[in-house]
Amino acid sequence: MYLIPSLSLFIVFIFYPLLKSIKLSIFNSDLVGRETTFAGFSYYSEMLNSSQFLHSLLVTLLFTFYTVVPGILIALFLACMVNSELKGIAIFRTIFAFPLSIAVAGASMIFMMLFNPSSGVFNYFLQLIHLPAVFWLSDAHWALLSVAIISIWRSVGFNTIVLLSGLQAIPEQIYESARIDGAVSWRQFIDITLPLLSPTLFFVCIVSVINALQTFGEINILTQGGPMEATNVIVYSIYREAFFNTNFGYASAESVVLFLLILICTLFEFCFLEKKVFYR
Amino acid sequence: MQKKSLWKRIAGLLLLGVMVMSITGCGDSSNEAGKGKEPTKIVFWYAVGGKVGEATKTLVKEFNDMHPDIKVEAVFQGDYDSAINKLKQSIASKSTPNVMQVYDIGTRFMIDSKAVVPVQKWIDKENFDTSSYEKNILAYYTVDNKLYSMPFNTSTPLLYYNKDMFKAAGLDPDNPPKTFEEVAADAQKLTQRDSSGKVTRPGMAMAIYGWFFEQFLAEQNAQYANNGNGRDAMATAVSFNSPQGEKVLNWWADMVKNGSAVNMGRKTEDTMKAFVSGQTAMTIDSTGVLGDIMDGVNGKFEVGTGFMPHPEGSANGGVIIGGASLWMLSGHSDAEEKASWEFIKFMTAPKQQAFWHIKTGYFPVTTAAYDDDELKKYDAKYPQFKIAIEQLHNTPINRSTQGGLLGVFTQARQEIENAIEHVLAGQASSQDALQKAADTVNDAVARYNSSVEK
Repeated sequence: MYLIPSLSLFIVFIFYPLLKSIKLSIFNSDLVGRETTFAGFSYYSEMLNSSQFLHSLLVTLLFTFYTVVPGILIALFLACMVNSELKGIAIFRTIFAFPLSIAVAGASMIFMMLFNPSSGVFNYFLQLIHLPAVFWLSDAHWALLSVAIISIWRSVGFNTIVLLSGLQAIPEQIYESARIDGAVSWRQFIDITLPLLSPTLFFVCIVSVINALQTFGEINILTQGGPMEATNVIVYSIYREAFFNTNFGYASAESVVLFLLILICTLFEFCFLEKKVFYR
Repeated sequence: MQKKSLWKRIAGLLLLGVMVMSITGCGDSSNEAGKGKEPTKIVFWYAVGGKVGEATKTLVKEFNDMHPDIKVEAVFQGDYDSAINKLKQSIASKSTPNVMQVYDIGTRFMIDSKAVVPVQKWIDKENFDTSSYEKNILAYYTVDNKLYSMPFNTSTPLLYYNKDMFKAAGLDPDNPPKTFEEVAADAQKLTQRDSSGKVTRPGMAMAIYGWFFEQFLAEQNAQYANNGNGRDAMATAVSFNSPQGEKVLNWWADMVKNGSAVNMGRKTEDTMKAFVSGQTAMTIDSTGVLGDIMDGVNGKFEVGTGFMPHPEGSANGGVIIGGASLWMLSGHSDAEEKASWEFIKFMTAPKQQAFWHIKTGYFPVTTAAYDDDELKKYDAKYPQFKIAIEQLHNTPINRSTQGGLLGVFTQARQEIENAIEHVLAGQASSQDALQKAADTVNDAVARYNSSVEK
């Protein structure tokens, strides 16, 4: 009984689209995306043989690495900083949580201005310290990093809040007894904070990986997968194939693979990382 | 207890939703039933926002005020691509709008969707006189001798240049470069370098925009796709991987390599900003942004405009018009179709097009608009626009300048941009990059054509 509302939402918004994608991926379709004839696994074999798809896969994994690792490290640092009883610390907590309240589109537009090669602030600062201007979004070497910077900026707020709540759940007595035993602060951090924070870290890790694998807004607004496909992550590739290239079957096949990828990553984290998680 | 009340609330919400849906449903059917008294309601999807969107809304309001028997409901669809995507869904669910603004390169798809009524039907029915419409503009939207959609907002690219910088570099400010070779030579002279030889101000900034590549092909009277640019029969392959295509890329890459042109990526906003802020002396951009450029420059320097350049020795070429047109969708009642036609006629009439030109910088699609006093004043203020009109009228109408028709044009444009990026970065030769793009697009064309036949 309790489950019916959530279950019905799941069925309508998750299971039905999932099954529909699987179906679309084994059928040819017409111009508006209705299935026409059976295609078998031809879209899958075309995809796995395509250098473009393998490139997208690589870009997606790189992007995940670029965003998840710094995103969590910075958040952990900030959370530790604001987890003190200083006066006015609430202001800092609010500031750090701020990016959370800005929509992807808004954040992307702001960064688009900051990244602008001729009038952007970033290049202005580079110029001040006599460094050459960087074409943040139009240089293939920088584009993925630039987009990753936005994702990190956006995710740090959420990660900090979650990690902070984890930190505050650690009883002060444990630190006290550690101090009596003579543990210095980094020892306390390694031996007390990290293990007791590990369930929270684990959660943040899983959510961040899934978010990174599904990043779309920033890329759609800022780079459209370019330059030279440098930011063509799988989600963006799905979007282009389905909605621009009227290649619904191929796009569906890609989305099924992305689903499997996320599933495998999450299972992997549960199997290997969870062993290191210390539940009290 | 609590569980139950929550359930009641959910049930209540669901009921409310059903009620709202049935009420709106009723509203529609009562409209159909009460014809004669009730105005005919038609839905119009438009796809350009900003000041262009504001001008669109103003025109729609004017139309509604003047036609008490018709009510046009204008719905903004974000941008051209989103509009087409929403149309695909609405075709599948049989809930298409009556009139829709579709971009130039969506033409083939619209015809193949089999969900449209060619405006030719109403032109024939009413013996509507199209002789005052710009020939080059009509030519683009005419397929198989039928005018499928009514041109609405039209633009072409132009060469914009900074006359002050031309003077300072010892170039004639009233004589912009006309050929690829002249552009390359002038760009060199306009480029400033510091003592170490590093470029501080490139002579030219051109965005990596597939539309420009299409224009440069047409300037050489070269076609984008086979079968008469897809106009004699459905294109079965692209033909941009030609010596003419390579010429464009080589010219561009050479300028980037020697530093006289800068690669600022795909966004024309970025190159426009560079031009307006005096960080480059020349740029290529649409006539549609002339007003923005003039406002941005605001008298800081004198802006000149020139024809799109072409390689020396190429003949019979010209510009392809870009922009969008108004399409009539099928599956609606005769009364609605008639109302849609009235609306389309209104939107492209001289007075409205004069207003449209002044507000947006697009070409008036009908030459009769040039007699409008307001428009004369506007064009006197911006003599730069005269060049655009001259360029359009100097363009011979042939298969190349009519523009290519391709069902997968958005993809083709994307592949071309990707190819240009590789060539400008020195990672591929023009020939290889264009060949690779052609292979990808040809696969897509084959798939598209087979899904249309089914």
